[in-house]
Amino acid sequence: MKEINELNLPEGLHYTKDHEWVRVDGDTAIVGISDYAQDQLGDIVYVEMPEVGNEFSQGEEFGTLESVKAVSETYLPLSGEIVEVNEALADAPELVNKDPYENWLVRIKPADLSELSALLSVDEYLDLLNG
Amino acid sequence: MEKDLKTVLHAWHVEGGANMASFASYDMPLWYPSGARNEHLAVLTGAGLFDTTHMSILTVRGKMARLLLQYCFSKDLDTCLGPNRGPLLPGRCVYGVFLDTHGHVIDDSIVYQVTEDLYMAVVNAGMGGTIAAHLESHKKGPDPVISDLTDRIGKMDIQGPSSARILKKIIKDPDVVLQKMAYFSFKGWFAGNEPGVFRVELLDGTPVLVSRTGYTGEFGFELYVDISQTIRLWEMILAAGRAFNLIPCGLAARDSLRTGAVLPLSHQDIGHWPFVNNPWLFALAWDQTGQRFSKDFIGADALSRCKNQDYTLPFAGYDPRKINAGENSFVTDTNGIRIGTILTCTTDMSIGRAGQNVVSIATPETSGKPKDFAAKGLCCGFVKVTKPIAAGEEVILTDGKRKINVEIREDIRPDRTARWAIAKML
Repeated sequence: MKEINELNLPEGLHYTKDHEWVRVDGDTAIVGISDYAQDQLGDIVYVEMPEVGNEFSQGEEFGTLESVKAVSETYLPLSGEIVEVNEALADAPELVNKDPYENWLVRIKPADLSELSALLSVDEYLDLLNG
Repeated sequence: MEKDLKTVLHAWHVEGGANMASFASYDMPLWYPSGARNEHLAVLTGAGLFDTTHMSILTVRGKMARLLLQYCFSKDLDTCLGPNRGPLLPGRCVYGVFLDTHGHVIDDSIVYQVTEDLYMAVVNAGMGGTIAAHLESHKKGPDPVISDLTDRIGKMDIQGPSSARILKKIIKDPDVVLQKMAYFSFKGWFAGNEPGVFRVELLDGTPVLVSRTGYTGEFGFELYVDISQTIRLWEMILAAGRAFNLIPCGLAARDSLRTGAVLPLSHQDIGHWPFVNNPWLFALAWDQTGQRFSKDFIGADALSRCKNQDYTLPFAGYDPRKINAGENSFVTDTNGIRIGTILTCTTDMSIGRAGQNVVSIATPETSGKPKDFAAKGLCCGFVKVTKPIAAGEEVILTDGKRKINVEIREDIRPDRTARWAIAKML
């Protein structure tokens, strides 16, 4: 298990209490899970994705990650429409363990960027992890 | 909340970077940095080492020891050995369950016969006190003496096809010890001189009990030493095992390995309900007809009178997708009618589908494993349902939102090595 100070938590991302991250990229945004989440889940063996075109509201479940032990839901950090899913994860779900930032889950078209204010900065996310 | 107990290897696990979790009141490793998948696969291709010091160990000593066990343990010690129904002998051990008068499972156990008057029962973590009290309550006098040695013995399991070759490097006279060692037999004792017991020693003279058992479905051994020798033996095996791709393994791999091998987890797959209609009825004392019991034992009456009980059945899915076993999860038939609950649902990472068949990375190509087979893993486990369902039929697991179809099966992971002749493994 990684110590908190060993976690890779890049600056410039917005984190959620459920351990997802989102990065705004032009008029879309990329969503993934944090290093803490992948470390806690352990080996990820299956990623269940939504379909392109599906719409979700902020905090709504949009898919699942399966580790050897358990199934965990993933929640969308911002309301929006799915415009792309990371197809590489269908054949190689373990990529999420290797680098959870390079290997994002979905790209969305955010409905309302003001929702970012409800998310956590790196420092706030670290505070959450430190309890 | 009370603090979790720790095995003597706890600090080693934490320093080794293990993800830890609470299991049966012990803080135990779930997996090490190599990950549960690699640990599971190592036990099929090389070897894995498991800390099982949290398990409880009782001795039952005295002239009345066998009689007491005959009454309290589900297996008939006088007919349990081999197809010829021989009696349990010193150096042999047997799997069974301790039932209550309702035929419910208190715990499962391996009972070892050490000498004519000395038996050892290995039960699950935290169950030593319960089983000792259960045995005490059925004694007719001072004999036998029941002792809980849990905190005095270090236990670890080395599992996988390379296990014997690794063990050979660390014990004295390995050829004598391991030669013709049958499945469910053992040699040695964990403490000094126990009269009448063949002595097995590590190279430095430390006494060790070597048992050709385990709970992964794969070839291997369970080792018992004095608690003071636990860390040393652990490190000795890791060092000797380096050349054989041995890695330490946590409870996640243990869980997926035992599930694939159709072995129950006590208090989850067997427990507070009658021990009937399940894949583990071989643990009962059957007579030659297989219809009646061969002895009187606690729970036998209740089992004989049981009617309309649920059926516990193994299943495997078609990909790694699972449904968490939990209060909100249930099983339906293919028409959506609710028929039961999920007991265990995990992913065996070493198996996959070749057409409709399940194959493992250990399956020979001549037995149907495709040349380019890459195991993605299959969801598997046990369901408890209200009606019998034939192997090959499907049921649906659901948590109320997601649904996955799985196939009821007689067996899950094929081509396991647990019963292979030891000559082949040296």
